[in-house]
Amino acid sequence: MRLLTAPAGAVDLTSASTLRGYEPIAAAIGLRGIRTVVEELPGAPAAPATRRAAAIAIIRNPWAGTGTDHDLQPETERIAPVLAKLLSDRLLHALGGADAVQAFGKAAVVGVDGELEHAGALIHTPYFGNLVREALGGTSILCFADARSEAGESHRIPLWHKTAAATRDFYQSLDVHLADAPHRGEIAVIAGAATGPRPHARIGDRATDRAVTSDILKGITL
Amino acid sequence: MIVRKLTTIVDEIATEGGRPVEPAARVAVVAVVIDNPWHGQGFVEDLAPGIAATASDLGALLAPRVVEALGAPIEAYGKAAIVGLDGEVEHGSALIHTLQFGDHFRNAASATTLLPAVEKRAAAGTVFDIPLKHITDATIRSHHQSVEVRVPDAPHAGEILVALAGAAQGRPQQRLAPLSTEQ
Repeated sequence: MRLLTAPAGAVDLTSASTLRGYEPIAAAIGLRGIRTVVEELPGAPAAPATRRAAAIAIIRNPWAGTGTDHDLQPETERIAPVLAKLLSDRLLHALGGADAVQAFGKAAVVGVDGELEHAGALIHTPYFGNLVREALGGTSILCFADARSEAGESHRIPLWHKTAAATRDFYQSLDVHLADAPHRGEIAVIAGAATGPRPHARIGDRATDRAVTSDILKGITL
Repeated sequence: MIVRKLTTIVDEIATEGGRPVEPAARVAVVAVVIDNPWHGQGFVEDLAPGIAATASDLGALLAPRVVEALGAPIEAYGKAAIVGLDGEVEHGSALIHTLQFGDHFRNAASATTLLPAVEKRAAAGTVFDIPLKHITDATIRSHHQSVEVRVPDAPHAGEILVALAGAAQGRPQQRLAPLSTEQ
């Protein structure tokens, strides 16, 4: 496919799928692997199942061995957009396209030889977030989690509505298990999305809440 | 059969041992969480009616999903049953160690060998490894591999998690001498 024959430095990913044939991209960004997890929660009879997905890329930490005065910007600009593309392609494939996506979120987990700032560099800039938001058809800020961790732990990825972040029914999180990642010199970068709200969401919303202040403590019934 | 949820996992390995894997190695797992058909019935001596009511439906549900998720011909495969704490390991074995279950996957994968399996009883969120072997010759050493799975809140005490796994190739960077060289 086109990716395999394009000269180095001249690859146009805007319309190309990265689901297959992405090995040159993997080599360029130090990608070890990608795990995509899709959860289907059957709804009421005849109603479509809610699907929730996370795509997890494991890459070599491009800043391994550098100090806290090291400029993170060049590698962020080079790597984060590619990660956004790889992960968005998998979420869209798993969930049935941007129109099906209603909630989204992101996370990064840096291996213990790296800085938390390395994790943040790959998800907390427009080079990642803007691309994921655009691909999934959202306007909200992406909610997030970041962590430094040994391999083999589970992490929670928060999600909220992609265009109306304060919509309470869509506050939810995904539990993602990183089997053998991140190694000490790696970073796991994660994007998550869901096609619906929490199961049986029924805790109201800002529009239905009455005004609540600490005055409510004055009338507590014990 | 009462399904609480389905989880599909696709692993793509692009680098192993510091070297590229081309094409990226693919392994797919589909796990379903169902009510344990024998939950709350005490010691059930004859499991056959429950098997007949459930095992074939399970295989029919999972097998095509693994094929679709993998998106490539299956070369190695395996299965799992994780029984919630109120059940017996025998309940999980009952559902997966029957041709009614496995033949759906064997037929979908054009396979002939028995599926290697993991069975255990565990709390929700347990981590388990599904063993995979070659689909037509279980002695093909290059295809011995396993995939690690965790479904966060399953199985509940009265549930069973049943999974099928398929791989499009052997281990990334496999380079062991075949069994025949030692015989």
